[in-house]
Amino acid sequence: MGDSRGRFEAQVLLHLDAAYRYARWLCGSAADADDVVQEAVLRAFRGFDGLKGEAKPWLLTIVRNCHATAAKQHQRRGFVPLPEEQELEASGAITDTAPGPEDLAISQDQGRSLERLLAALPEAHREVLVLREIEDMDYRQIAAVTNVPIGTVMSRLARARATLKAQWAASAAGGLTDVP
Amino acid sequence: MCPEHEQLHAYFDGELAPGEQMHVKQHLAACATCRAELATLQAGRSALRAQFREMQAPQPLRASILRALDAEEQQVRPARRAAGWRRPFWLGMLGGVGGLAVTAALAFFLLFAPQMNLPEQLVAAHVQALRSGHMIAVVSTDRHTVKPWFAGRADVSPVVVDFADQGYRLLGGRTDAIDRQHAAVVVYEHGAHFINVFSWHAGTAEPPPDTTLRGYHLAFWKTQDLMYCAVSDTGWSELKGLEQLLSFAGERELRP
Repeated sequence: MGDSRGRFEAQVLLHLDAAYRYARWLCGSAADADDVVQEAVLRAFRGFDGLKGEAKPWLLTIVRNCHATAAKQHQRRGFVPLPEEQELEASGAITDTAPGPEDLAISQDQGRSLERLLAALPEAHREVLVLREIEDMDYRQIAAVTNVPIGTVMSRLARARATLKAQWAASAAGGLTDVP
Repeated sequence: MCPEHEQLHAYFDGELAPGEQMHVKQHLAACATCRAELATLQAGRSALRAQFREMQAPQPLRASILRALDAEEQQVRPARRAAGWRRPFWLGMLGGVGGLAVTAALAFFLLFAPQMNLPEQLVAAHVQALRSGHMIAVVSTDRHTVKPWFAGRADVSPVVVDFADQGYRLLGGRTDAIDRQHAAVVVYEHGAHFINVFSWHAGTAEPPPDTTLRGYHLAFWKTQDLMYCAVSDTGWSELKGLEQLLSFAGERELRP
C-alpha cells in the first residue's frame, strides 16, 4: 500500500459515510448512490495530489459532480459542470430543481414521515439542509460544494427549514403518529 | 416582528460575528417569539440528526471501493506516471469510462471466475499468489492485526490464530475472489511450505470432499456457515493437522 493511499484513506475515505449520506439524498435510490459514491471516490483518489483545502467539502463536491454526470447520462435533469470539465461542456449550466420521479419513489418505498418530507423538498433546498443539519458544514463549505454564493445558501436553507416545518406541522395535524 | 428575527438562522448556525451573536443572545432573553422560533430550529435539527446521522456506507460498498482502489493503485497510477505527458482534453472524457472499466473488470472477474469449479479456483488462487509475490497483503504474526484487516476487505471474518508452537506460523492475510465472493485468505508457513487457508460464506452448503489437484492438497471443513479450505503442497497429515487446530479454534470462538 503506497504512502499516498494511506494518506488518502486517512484524509478522504474518513468521510465515506458523509459522502454516502449526501449521495443517498441526491440520488434517491441506494443503488444509484452506491455507483455515484464508488465513482466519486475513485475520481478523488486520482485527483488526490490536487487536494489543497479541506477534504470533506472536496469529496462531497466530487460526489455532487458525479451525480450530475450520471443524471445527465440518464437525461433526467440538467447538469452543472465543475470548472475542470467546462472545456468539455459547450452548453451552459442549467439546473432544474424540481423533484424528479426518484424523489417521489422514496416516499412510496419508505413510509417514515421525516424521510418523506425531506425527500419531497426541491433538490436544491434539500441538499443545503442535509449539508447543514446532518453533515454540520458551515455556510462557506456548503457554498463551495453546491457552487452557489453564500447568500443563496442562506436563502435556500431558510426556505428548506420553513417548508419542512410547515409540512411537519401539516402531517402531524393529519394524524400521522410517527413524527417525533 | 423584531429585526433580530432575521438573524436567527445565522445565529443558530453560529455564523454571526461575535458582537452580533452576543446581541441576538441578549435579545432572546427578552423575546419569547424568537425563543420559540429558535426552539423549532433546534427541534428540526435534532430530529434530522437523530434519524439520519447514523446512516453509514454499506459494508459491500466499502469493500468494493477498497478493491477498486487496490486495482487503481496497481494498474492505472504507475501507467500514468510512466507516461509523463500532459493529458489531452479527451482523456478527461475517458477518465469516467476508465473508472467504469475498472469496476466492470472486477465485476467480470467475480462473475466469470466461478465458472471454474471450486478446487480449480482455489488452486489457481494459491498458485497465482505464490507466483506473483503478492501472497500477503497484511504481513503480521499477530492475529489482532490480521483479523481486523479483513473487515471491509473480505466478505467474512474467519478464525485467525498463530500456531507457531505447533509448527504453523501465521504470516498474514489477503483477499481473493472465490465463489463470487471476496474470500479471506490466511497464510501460514509450515517448514518450507506455505499453506493458504481460504474462507468464504457458504450458507447451508456441505463441505466438498478433500481432494488433490495439480499436486496440491485441498482440505475442506466448515464452522457454522463459514467454509474453509486449506491448500498446500505439504503432506496430508500436516494439512489435516492445521485443519484440526483451526476447526477447534473456530468452534471455541462460537461459544459465548
